[in-house]
Amino acid sequence: MYNKLNNLAFVIGAFFTVVSLILIANIFLEGKYDGLSIYSASAFLIFGMVMMLRN
Amino acid sequence: MNLQAADYLIIIVYFLFVIGVGFLIKKKIKSSNDFLSSNRSIPLWITSLAFISANLGAQEVIGMVASGAKYGIMTVHFYWVGAIFAMVFLGVFMMPFYYGSKARSVPEYLSLRFDEKTRGLNAISFAVMTVFSSGISLYALAKMLEIILHWDFDVSIWIAAGIVMIYTFLGGLTSAVYNEVLQFFLIVLGLSPLVVVALHDAGGWENVKAQLPANMTHAWQYMGDADTNPMGLHFMSLIFGLGFVMSFGYWCTDFLVVQRAMIARNMGDAQRTPIIAAIPKMLMPLIVVLPGVIAIALMQPALQSKGYSIPIERDGQINYTMTLPSLIAHYYPSGLLGVGITALMASFMSGMAGNVTAFNAVFTYDIYQAYFVKKKSDRHYLVFGKFVTIAGILISIITAYIAKGFNNINDFLQLVFGFVNGPLFATFLLGMFWKRTTGHGAFWGLVCGTMAAAATHGLTIAEGKGGWIAPLFEIKSGMGQAFIVAAVSWVVNFFTTIFVSLATKPKPDEQLRGLVYSLTEKPKYTSDKWYMRIVPLAVILLTITIILNLIFF
Repeated sequence: MYNKLNNLAFVIGAFFTVVSLILIANIFLEGKYDGLSIYSASAFLIFGMVMMLRN
Repeated sequence: MNLQAADYLIIIVYFLFVIGVGFLIKKKIKSSNDFLSSNRSIPLWITSLAFISANLGAQEVIGMVASGAKYGIMTVHFYWVGAIFAMVFLGVFMMPFYYGSKARSVPEYLSLRFDEKTRGLNAISFAVMTVFSSGISLYALAKMLEIILHWDFDVSIWIAAGIVMIYTFLGGLTSAVYNEVLQFFLIVLGLSPLVVVALHDAGGWENVKAQLPANMTHAWQYMGDADTNPMGLHFMSLIFGLGFVMSFGYWCTDFLVVQRAMIARNMGDAQRTPIIAAIPKMLMPLIVVLPGVIAIALMQPALQSKGYSIPIERDGQINYTMTLPSLIAHYYPSGLLGVGITALMASFMSGMAGNVTAFNAVFTYDIYQAYFVKKKSDRHYLVFGKFVTIAGILISIITAYIAKGFNNINDFLQLVFGFVNGPLFATFLLGMFWKRTTGHGAFWGLVCGTMAAAATHGLTIAEGKGGWIAPLFEIKSGMGQAFIVAAVSWVVNFFTTIFVSLATKPKPDEQLRGLVYSLTEKPKYTSDKWYMRIVPLAVILLTITIILNLIFF
């Protein structure tokens, strides 16, 4: 795990994954299912996962 | 603009990540080279994105959106004329000397190529400029947070400066570079949804064009006459002033950006760094110019029902600087609002960190080690570099408070920076490509070029600025005045350097190998795949840039 944290792509991926999870949680907690938030959160999640798994 | 819990949570997560990067890098810092110049160990994709991010500070992001609203699509000239060509030139022709000479900084290259007085002049002016720029970034961040979020100015200053200090003190240049890459993705991904939703709201690009005057949606068509375009510029002054003097002066000689290429793993990667960086730079107008153009279209009568407007100042003028924050406030719901605000904060803090890390390298290598304490252990310079990092942050904080008290100091500092930067490229061009250039020539060329810049500003007046000697010549726009000041300083430096060089003794050839084009073996990359070779990459990029200019002609 420590080696992965030394990989910048993994760190960036982790950041966007966490941000996307916050956005998704916020959508459900507020109950406002607006397209902009959903699409943005999905894009961040996909980008984050790709960056984390690329190595 | 009111932030909700999710917005604050995203800001806190960003702070934790940037500080976390500092702690991760700290373990790798063993020497002064690790701390100040990353020991030439950074992969190409990171150096390339850091290269462009070093220029993606808040003044760039907020300023270019503002220019997009004020001048329209002509703002793309700062990218497709004022950046790509210079970045390609740096990669193809200049990096072999910066990297091959094994200099740790741009001033150190000047000492190898010319002499100590030229290095000293460049190092001192650069150190002063970077540390004050860092302070201005800090001031602008605190001011923006005070205006749009009503946060306390002092708290914003100390929190932002404290976080930058922690991660630059722990991880030095590598930490700053890593966070610049994170910032790059945050800005691109954080602002992309804004462009999509605002463009959709405005009815698409064709409708935006239909709402605006034609000279706001064409880059070149109205530049034959300075009176018919929003910038008030003739295309010749744009090409020479921005496209040659200012652009090459910044991208090819400013250590803040060149440093990102100098930390690459090998010569090939060092050359590719600015060329690969030119690809996202070419597309950056989509993120930072287009929103401004859309914003001004949304204020036209046919789209007023959308309910968006750029804030108006007390004197009734549009406050263009608020274009991006007002778009974020208008379109982003809670959660995404936090992403947008974090992207803005990241650009301010990253700009500050970039300046501080360039400052500590130049101050340690080119001032302290070169002139004051020459032969100490590596440990000594590592500790001193860390001390300079703290000192740089503290000077930035003091500068931010001075800027708060004296509004005009920002304009004054930008003006002085322009005087110093304008002539620089002539020194490097002659130094790298004419072996007869001497240290005396370079030094006096820089001094006379800077004085010529100040004199030109003092003799010309534009939008009420300049003319402090005698307002003999009136120029329509402040931007045009800046281009003319830079062009005059460049020409004066160029010819002064030539004349003084011809009258003084040059260095022998053996001392110039690896530093001058005619005495340096050209790197060969025949083993690389064709798309990774320097020249084919450069040709493809230049071709695409010309096509983009033609599309938006």
